[in-house]
Amino acid sequence: MFQDRIQPGPQQSSAAHQPAGIAGPDLDLIFDLAPLAVLILSPAWRIRRASCRFLSVWRVAADDCVGQELLPFLEKQFQPPRPAHLAHLIATIDDAIAARAERTSHPINASPAVSWKVRVIPVFNGDELVSIVLEWHDGPRSTLPDVDHEGDVVKPGLSTDEAFRILVQAVKDYAIFLLDTRGHIVTWNTGAEVLKGYKREEIIGKHFSLFYGKEDLDIKKPQMELEICMREGRVEDEGWRYRKDGSRFWANVVITAVYKDGVHVGFGKVTRDLTERKSSESRLIAAYEESEKLKSDFLANMSHEIRTPMHGMLSACTLLLDTPLSDRQRDIVNIMDESGQVLLQVINDILDYSKLASGSFSINSDIVGITSIVTSVVRGMQTSLPSSVHFELFLASELPRSVQGDPLRYRQILQNIVGNAAKFTDKGSIRVRASVQSEDDSNYMVLTEVTDTGIGVPEAAQASLFTPFMQFDATSTKQYKGTGLGLSIAKSLTELMGGRIGYRPNLERHGSVFWFTARFKKIKTLEQMGNWKITSHVTRTERQSTPALDSEVDELQKEIRIVSSIKNLLVVEDNLINQKVILGMLRSLGFRNVGLASNGLEAVRMVRGKPAAYDVVLMDISMPVMDGQQATREIRAGGVLVPIIAMTAYALKGDRERCLDYGMNDYIAKPVDKKRLIAVLGKWLLRMTDYRKNYEQRLAEFRRQNMSATPATPGEEAKQFLFDAKSTISPLRPADVAATGGSSNQVANPAADTATTEPPNRIAGDSVEQPEGPKDDFKALGMTLTLPVLNRDIKASGATQDSPALASNEQAVAVAEAKEKSDMASAEPLPRVEERVEERVEEHGCDSNVPELTPDLQAGLSHEQESPFEEARGSPDTVAAGPQPGLFRGSNSPPECPDKNTASSSVEVVEQTSPFSP
Amino acid sequence: MPDFGDDVDNAIFSQILEMDENEDERDFSRPLVLGFFDQASETFEQMQQALDDKNLDELSTLGHFLKGSSATLGFNKIRDSCQIIQQYGHRMNVDSTAEPDEEVCLKKITDALTAVKADTTELEKVMRKFFGPAPDEDEAEE
Repeated sequence: MFQDRIQPGPQQSSAAHQPAGIAGPDLDLIFDLAPLAVLILSPAWRIRRASCRFLSVWRVAADDCVGQELLPFLEKQFQPPRPAHLAHLIATIDDAIAARAERTSHPINASPAVSWKVRVIPVFNGDELVSIVLEWHDGPRSTLPDVDHEGDVVKPGLSTDEAFRILVQAVKDYAIFLLDTRGHIVTWNTGAEVLKGYKREEIIGKHFSLFYGKEDLDIKKPQMELEICMREGRVEDEGWRYRKDGSRFWANVVITAVYKDGVHVGFGKVTRDLTERKSSESRLIAAYEESEKLKSDFLANMSHEIRTPMHGMLSACTLLLDTPLSDRQRDIVNIMDESGQVLLQVINDILDYSKLASGSFSINSDIVGITSIVTSVVRGMQTSLPSSVHFELFLASELPRSVQGDPLRYRQILQNIVGNAAKFTDKGSIRVRASVQSEDDSNYMVLTEVTDTGIGVPEAAQASLFTPFMQFDATSTKQYKGTGLGLSIAKSLTELMGGRIGYRPNLERHGSVFWFTARFKKIKTLEQMGNWKITSHVTRTERQSTPALDSEVDELQKEIRIVSSIKNLLVVEDNLINQKVILGMLRSLGFRNVGLASNGLEAVRMVRGKPAAYDVVLMDISMPVMDGQQATREIRAGGVLVPIIAMTAYALKGDRERCLDYGMNDYIAKPVDKKRLIAVLGKWLLRMTDYRKNYEQRLAEFRRQNMSATPATPGEEAKQFLFDAKSTISPLRPADVAATGGSSNQVANPAADTATTEPPNRIAGDSVEQPEGPKDDFKALGMTLTLPVLNRDIKASGATQDSPALASNEQAVAVAEAKEKSDMASAEPLPRVEERVEERVEEHGCDSNVPELTPDLQAGLSHEQESPFEEARGSPDTVAAGPQPGLFRGSNSPPECPDKNTASSSVEVVEQTSPFSP
Repeated sequence: MPDFGDDVDNAIFSQILEMDENEDERDFSRPLVLGFFDQASETFEQMQQALDDKNLDELSTLGHFLKGSSATLGFNKIRDSCQIIQQYGHRMNVDSTAEPDEEVCLKKITDALTAVKADTTELEKVMRKFFGPAPDEDEAEE
């Protein structure tokens, strides 16, 4: 470089005259003749040389200039003096030396007419500064403020490009640089240097992926970013980037595609160091979590603290309720008690929730009897349900008897879901189904589903069902109280138990299906496995449904067996298969006298033909000719109060509800579950007062009341009674009652006629409408009818009756009679039995409504002579379901009743009214 | 009792089997179940006829009818198809929303009928195997 040859001293003129060298003109000459105003300074800023151009432009002599200190020289030259401009020049030179790079000053005004931009080039030899070159270029008027000279206001003099370049170059807090189209670094600013630690020289030309870590490189993130950037014009990313020294910083990177005149020329990249922000973020999150935990802990503690006195209060309430209280006081205490219970539930919810939220909730490990838990939850809930809602319980046969897990938590989840179902279901059913979803060597995944026919969940609310404090219907919170925590607790609990929880709408009916799964460990001891084998084989029946209820059902079944042989049932069902199954079930319960009708019309004829013959009618709903609902209407219209139990295949909306509306008393879902059948039959045959007895009681009362009054005609009396009975006992609608009052209904007429022409004889007779057996037997059996109830009464009143043995009957009846203060004596109507039966036989004889029977069926029925009951023998429409006689004999049936015949006869019964044969 | 899989509600079906006085002879359940298949095939014929006649009401009735007996025996898969037939016969979708387009209903029923026929045939094989060939020569099950 030329500085080595620069000689100190004012020799520029001689140099200018030196001849040119062989290779070209002398370097000094070139320096002098170059059209540049140049000063060459020593490291101490003394002027060593000035170019001719400088001397001429500045109008100074070489001697006045060379050898002078720069600053005093300039001060002398500046007219007027401009300290600010001088200071800027000094700063620029300092900066250039510090940066070991060229710098250019802002325009500096030497005089009002002249302005210079000074390019400062520091020259180093190794680390030693050997010279400073100042090139003076004509510049626009300066922008620098100059307080020394009024009116000489400095204005921006940079071109836009220049301004941006300087700006970018000067920014220290952001790395801003350009990449070429393939990602190689083209420019480098101070910020980049500071941030990344690379010098401009060493980084230019390198690929920008240099800054990325291995993970990002593995997924080809740099390339991806450029591709995305090309596609979308811009890409932003946050992540770790690496400095030259290998340390990393959390960077926010924005890459922008750069175009010039529509041609892609590269990418602009701006990188910010967010390490600081990132760490404050994590500090914030940690603080938030901490405060959340504190809140949960606080809630947990507080809930616990509240719960303790709450229990005290509730116990006191209970004690208070046991003391003698006036009705008003009792009401008030009850309110306190109920509110307390609700409050306690709320507090428990919050407690659980906060425990779950703070992660301090633990799952215990214990023996779990899933079936018994499900049963007991259902049973517990059943008591609080209105009668319009009933429970269906399905426990899959493969459910293990006992497993290992947390029984309390499983119960809690189920309780919550079943409780919700009960809360939101006004009528219909709640079906609880438990089964094994999957199973491996050591675990069962148990699926529990609760299906209700309640109000359902609106679609919009389904997503937030399991979110804490969400109650899906804000408008109904008044109606349905609660914290809104239940399901979120249930969700957390199922997750703790390795399961999941979910919701779907009930597709069959309006309502909800909530399901959850929970993982339970298998219990693996040889002994228990051995036990299972035995029990599972022997007690499979019981296990299918409800072990805990089994005892009740067994008990009930025993009671039913005592009375079943003297009970008359009517099954109304059009489907042969269903007929057979229900008859089979009834037979297995000991029922011998089961009438069969294959459509509603037949049923109406049979029931109204013998208004007191049947103890219970099991009625299918959807049948040809006349459906079960219409049939029930007709039967009720005829004044017959026999319990009618609908057998409904869940199908169309509201079927079940309509059953009750149509005057039915109860219902069983199809397919009929035997235990449910037992429960319902038990209820209507054993637990409810016999409808005929009621009839008679009321009649007796009616008589007593009217004893002194003007005697009504028998017909009116009966009518009056029927009206009374219906309006108070049967769940008929007022409209139905009205219809009977002045019956213009054609089908209703025959019965109304019977009622008006026949009573009171008939009514009295009906009360002992029983199969004709030995009278004493009947008496004994008849008494057992009411026994379960009576026996309980005796116990309650302190008597020491332990078992419902027949021996206690006399006493039981005596007590009952005393209690009821009724003139219905068991002995009084007995003489009329025969008379009544004869009458009925006659009726049948001329009753054209009785379905025609084929000879085959007649033959089958004729075997019922073995039956001890006159009734069965006499009525052609009674099909015995007993084990000995009847239709359902297998292939080993006696020759006089071959299987084929019985089968075909039953088929014909069905086909008679089947919609499929004209 | 063998596990008949998801297509059969084993709890309900075992209830039927329990009504047999003799597990070897199965003289309650055998004629019942085999009778069901007769009933089913008759019903399918009637359904086909009703389909040809485009008689949706009849299809609904038939669907309900067979649904009843299949449900009683715990034949869930058949039951579900019958439910579909019943629903579309009612001009309703399975979720009980109205489906006014009768052609759609008929199409859906046609599909369901095809499916239920196949399922029934399949199940009948399984059941016939379970109950054995004839009452006299069959062996104790399981």
